[in-house]
Amino acid sequence: MMAVLAGSRKRVSALLAVGAMSMTLAACGSGAPSTNSPGTSSSPGTPPGNATSGTVTWGSAPIARSNLRSTLISAFEKAYPHIKVNLVTLPTSANAQQSALTTQISGGSGPDVYTGDVTWAAQFAKATLAEPLSSYLGSSYFSSFAPGLIKGATYNSKVYGAPFFTDEGLLYYRKDLLAQNHLPVPSTWQQLVSESKTLQSAHLVKYGYVWQGASYEGLTCDWVEFMADAGGTLTNSAATKSTIDSKASLKALTFMRSLITSGVSPAAVSTYQEPQSLAVFDGGQAAFMRFWPEGYAPAVSALGASKVGVAPMPTFAGQSAPGYSVVGGQNLYLNPHAKNMAASITFIKWLTGSQAQTMMATKYAMVPSNAAVRSSKAVTSSSPVLAAIAKTKLISRPSYTPNYTRASQAIYSNVNSALSGATSPKAALSAAQSQMNTALSGSGI
Amino acid sequence: MTVPAASALSERVSASGVEPSPPVGRRDLNTKKLARLGWAFSAPAMLVVGAVTIFPIVFSVVLSLSHVAITGNGFVLGGFTLGNYRALLNSGRWRYDLGFTFGYTVVTVLVELIIGTAFALVLERLQAARGMMMALLLIPWSMITVISAELWSYIYNGTYGVLNAIVAPFVSHPIVFLGTPVSAIIAMMVADIWKTTPFVTIIVLAGLVMLPDDLYEAAEVDGASGWSTFWKVTFPLLRPTLALAVLFRVLQAFGLFDLPYVLTSGAPGHATESLALLGYEVMFSYFQFGPGAAIAASTALIVLVVCLAFLKVFRSQIGSEA
Repeated sequence: MMAVLAGSRKRVSALLAVGAMSMTLAACGSGAPSTNSPGTSSSPGTPPGNATSGTVTWGSAPIARSNLRSTLISAFEKAYPHIKVNLVTLPTSANAQQSALTTQISGGSGPDVYTGDVTWAAQFAKATLAEPLSSYLGSSYFSSFAPGLIKGATYNSKVYGAPFFTDEGLLYYRKDLLAQNHLPVPSTWQQLVSESKTLQSAHLVKYGYVWQGASYEGLTCDWVEFMADAGGTLTNSAATKSTIDSKASLKALTFMRSLITSGVSPAAVSTYQEPQSLAVFDGGQAAFMRFWPEGYAPAVSALGASKVGVAPMPTFAGQSAPGYSVVGGQNLYLNPHAKNMAASITFIKWLTGSQAQTMMATKYAMVPSNAAVRSSKAVTSSSPVLAAIAKTKLISRPSYTPNYTRASQAIYSNVNSALSGATSPKAALSAAQSQMNTALSGSGI
Repeated sequence: MTVPAASALSERVSASGVEPSPPVGRRDLNTKKLARLGWAFSAPAMLVVGAVTIFPIVFSVVLSLSHVAITGNGFVLGGFTLGNYRALLNSGRWRYDLGFTFGYTVVTVLVELIIGTAFALVLERLQAARGMMMALLLIPWSMITVISAELWSYIYNGTYGVLNAIVAPFVSHPIVFLGTPVSAIIAMMVADIWKTTPFVTIIVLAGLVMLPDDLYEAAEVDGASGWSTFWKVTFPLLRPTLALAVLFRVLQAFGLFDLPYVLTSGAPGHATESLALLGYEVMFSYFQFGPGAAIAASTALIVLVVCLAFLKVFRSQIGSEA
C-alpha cells in the first residue's frame, strides 16, 4: 500500500487520475459537430405534417404512470400505417432529461421528437437544441391551442414547442370533512386557514394544508401562485429585471411562513415535493392539498371518490376569486437533427390533434392543450378535474427568457430558505431579487 | 508502472539465466528489448486512458478558459477568457459551496478517522467472529450511495420518518431534520460517516496487523499502560497508514455529489450544496459550460494542491515506512 505513495512521480500521476474523475463531468457534453442541416432529409414535394411514410423516434418520460405513450403510438400507426414510431424512454426527473437531451442533441443524435417541460422552450431554442416548428407549420395550427400556451413556447417570435398537455395548480379538499362540519370550499387563503384550524382542533386531520415547499422548480410554481394572488410580479414584461422584492411578495412569503409556524402546514412542507404532499393527503392526514391534475386518480383510489373534491385555487381576501393557477405541462419539441422532418412533424401534429387529445383527456384524465377538445362537452363532463380546470385563472412563469432555469433557482432556493426559518422573508426576497437580476442578465453564475 | 514491471521481469530473467554474469552489452540490449515490448503491450491500455482521462481533462481546461456556447452541433468555442474563473470568484454561491465542501471534508474525514481507528483497534483484538464483524461492517460501504441516501431520507423524513418515530415521546412536533441548515448539514455528515467509516477501518486494520509484536512486548516489559502504548507505540507506527486513509478520503469527500443530490438537492437554500453539485447544475441546468468547466477544473486543482501539501507534511513518515 505504501508503495503507491513512495515514488513522487507515481504519486502525482495517481492524484491526477483521481482528479480527472471530478473533471470528466465537464466533457460529457462534447461531441463532433454534425453537418446535418435541418429540413434536408424530408422528401421534396411532401408538405410537412402530411407525410405518409418513414420512421420517427419519440423520446419521452413515462406519462401519468400509465401506458399512455404506447396507446398513442399504436393509434397513430393505425392512422398512418407506413410511419413507424420508436419509443425511447427518457429519465423521469426533469434535470436528468435535460442533461440527457443536451448531450445527445449537441452530439448530433437524440430522438427526433421529444417531450420536455414547457419552461425549456427559450433555453433550448437559444442553444439551437430545438428546431422552430413555425418554420414548418402555419399560424392556423398554433391558434388551435388554449390561450397563453403558445406564448410560453415562443422565442424571438418563432414557436419552438407544440403544447402536448397542460398542468395547472388545483386545490384538493376533503369533501366529506367539509360537508360534515358544514364548511364551504374555501375561496380565500384566510378561509382555508380558519377551516384548517377547525378541522385540526376537532382532531379530524393532523394538518390543514399540504403543498410543495422543497427547494426545486415545484416551489417556484407554488410561489408564483401565492405571489400573484397578493398582486406581485416576478419580472418586468421583457423578463430582463426582477420585480420580486415587493410589498405584495412580502405579504405572500410571510403568509407562507405563517402556514408553517401556525401548524396549518407541517414544518416538513419545506422538504415536500409532489410525492410527499400526495402521501400525506392520501393518508388522510391533511384537509387540503395543492396539486396538479394527475393527483386526482391516486387520491381517489386511496380515499374514495366521495371524499376527494377538486376546485380552483383560493386567493387572498379582497381579491377576485379564484386565485391564480400556474401553468405547467409538457411540449413536444423537434430535434434539429431529426432524420425525417416530414414524418416527425406529422407525428407532432397528430399528437396535438383532436383524436389523441380526446383520448388523453377522457381515458387518462390529462388536461388537453387543444382548445376545442378542452372545452368539448365529452371532455369537461368526463372528470371533476377537467370541470375544475374550466374555471381556473392561469398565470405562466416567464419561461420566454433563456435564463429562466437560473432565475427560477434564485426564486426557489431563497423562498425555501425563508420557509425553513433560516432567513427572514424580507432578506430572502432581496437576495432573490439580486440573484434573479444576475441570472436574467445572463452573466455570472 | 510499465517500466518497473519490465525491468523487474528482466532482472528475474537474468537472475535465472544460465550464464552467471552475462556481458554488459547483451544485458542492456535485453533490457531495452523487454522495455520496448512492455511499452508495446501497454500501448492499447494507454490509448484508452488517454481517450477517457487525458483528453477530457485537457478539454475541460480548454472549456474553462473559453467563451463557450452550446449549440445543436456541439460546443462553439469563442476565444480565450479568464471570465469564467472571475465569475466564480465574484459568486457568493461558489464561495459558500467551497467553504461548505472544505468544512464538510475536514469534519467527516476527522470523525471517520477517529471512529475507524477505534473500530480497527477493537477488531484487531477480536479473537472470535472477526470475519463476521468485518462482513457486517462492510455492508454500509458496499451499498451504492444513491440507495443508502434514499434510505437515510426515509430515516430523516420530517413527517413519517423513522428517526421522528424514535424521538416522538420527547418532542412536541416532528423535527424536520433536512429542513434547517445546521441540522441538514449534520444529518448529511452522519449519513456519510456511517457509510465511509468501514473503509477507514479496513485500511487501519491492515496497518495494525503489520505492526511488529516485539515493540509491544518491550512496552509491556517497561510497564506502559494501554493508553500510553497506543500514543507512544501504535499511533507513531500507524501514521503512514492513517495518512493514506486521509488521502483517499479527502479525494473522495471533496468530490461529494451523490449524497446531497439524493438527500437534499443542496437545500435548504444552498446550505448543503457541494462544489460538484454546483458544477452539475451550472452545466446541465443553466447550459453555462464555461463556468461549469471552471468549477470542475478549479475543484480538481484545489484538491490536488491540498493533497500534495498534506503528503509533503507526512513525507518523512511515509518515506521511512516504504
